[in-house]
Amino acid sequence: MLRPLAEWLAETPLSKTLSEQAWVVPTSQSIHILAVAAVFASALMINLRLLGVGAKGRRVSELSDTLIPWMWRGLAVLLLTGTIQTLAEPVRQFVTPAFWAKMTMIVVVTAMTILFVRALRRNSPLWDDGSSRPPQAKIFAVVSTLMWLAIIVCGRFIAYTWASYA
Amino acid sequence: MSIDALLQSIQASPVAAAIRGELPGTEWLFPIVETLHVIALTLVVGSIAMIDLRLLGVVSRASPVSRLSKEVLPWTWIAWCVAALFGSLLFTSNARAYAGNLQFQLKFTCMALAALNMLIFQFGAFRRVERWDLGEPARSAKVAGALSLLLWIGVVFFGRWVGFTVTT
Repeated sequence: MLRPLAEWLAETPLSKTLSEQAWVVPTSQSIHILAVAAVFASALMINLRLLGVGAKGRRVSELSDTLIPWMWRGLAVLLLTGTIQTLAEPVRQFVTPAFWAKMTMIVVVTAMTILFVRALRRNSPLWDDGSSRPPQAKIFAVVSTLMWLAIIVCGRFIAYTWASYA
Repeated sequence: MSIDALLQSIQASPVAAAIRGELPGTEWLFPIVETLHVIALTLVVGSIAMIDLRLLGVVSRASPVSRLSKEVLPWTWIAWCVAALFGSLLFTSNARAYAGNLQFQLKFTCMALAALNMLIFQFGAFRRVERWDLGEPARSAKVAGALSLLLWIGVVFFGRWVGFTVTT
C-alpha cells in the first residue's frame, strides 16, 4: 500500500520538480542538519541538567523556558525540510523501515517532551529543587536522549539501507 | 614526501581500507562512523549557536555571557574532539578525493575562519566581558556572534555537499 502511494507521489509534478532540481535535496538536508543541531543540543542540555551533570547552577525551568521554544522552532524546520525531502524522493523514504522507526520515535519523543513541559509548568518549584524533583525526571532525561540519538541514527541510515528495500 | 604521496599513503592504510568497508566485518563501518560524526557535529553547532545567539543579544540577556560560556563550551570542545576524530577517519577512506574536493576545502576554510574569529573574540571583546556581561552585548561581541553563526552554517552546508560531490 505504501509503495503504490510513494510511486503515485513520485509522479506528481511537485515531486518531479523537487527531484529534478539537483540543489534541492542537499540544501534541504543541510538546513535539516542545522535544525537537528538546535533540537538535539537543546534537548541534551536540558537532559544533562535533569541528570545533574551539566548547567548545575541553573533552574530546570529557566533552561527549559529558554531552550524548549528553540526545540519547537527546530522541529517545525525539520518537519518542513523533511517533507521536502520525502516529496522529492518518496519511494526512498516510504519503503525503508528506518524511516518509519524514525517517524514513530519522533511522535513518541515529542509527546514525552510536551508532557514534561506541562508537568514542569504546573509546578516548577517542585522540578527546580533537586531534592523534590520527581524521579521521572531522570527517566525522561535518559529515554529522550536515547530516542533523539536513535532518531539521528535512523535518519542517517535511511540513506544506507533504502536501496535494499527499493 | 609530497602532499599527494602522503594522501596516497593515508588512503592505502589498513584504517582507510576498514572505513571503506573492504576488510571482513567492516561493511557498516563508514555509515557508523559517519553517523557518529553527524551526532557530534550537531552538538558542536547547536552549542556554539547558543553562545552566538546570546552574543547577538537574541536570547537570555538577563543571564551573564561569561556564565553561559563556562557552562556550554566544555561540551562544545568534547563534541568537537569527537567530530574531529570521526571526521578524520572518514577522510582517510578517500583522502585524495576529499582533499581535492572544492566543498571540502570551503568547509575547512569556514572552520579556519571560525577559529580565527573565536581567537580575535577571546583576546579582544571577551577580555572586557565584565562591561557587557549582562544586557546589550558590545558591538564587537555581536559581530563575533554573527560571524561565528554564519561560518558554522557554512561548515554544515559545505560538509553536507561534500557527500554529494566527492567522487569515489
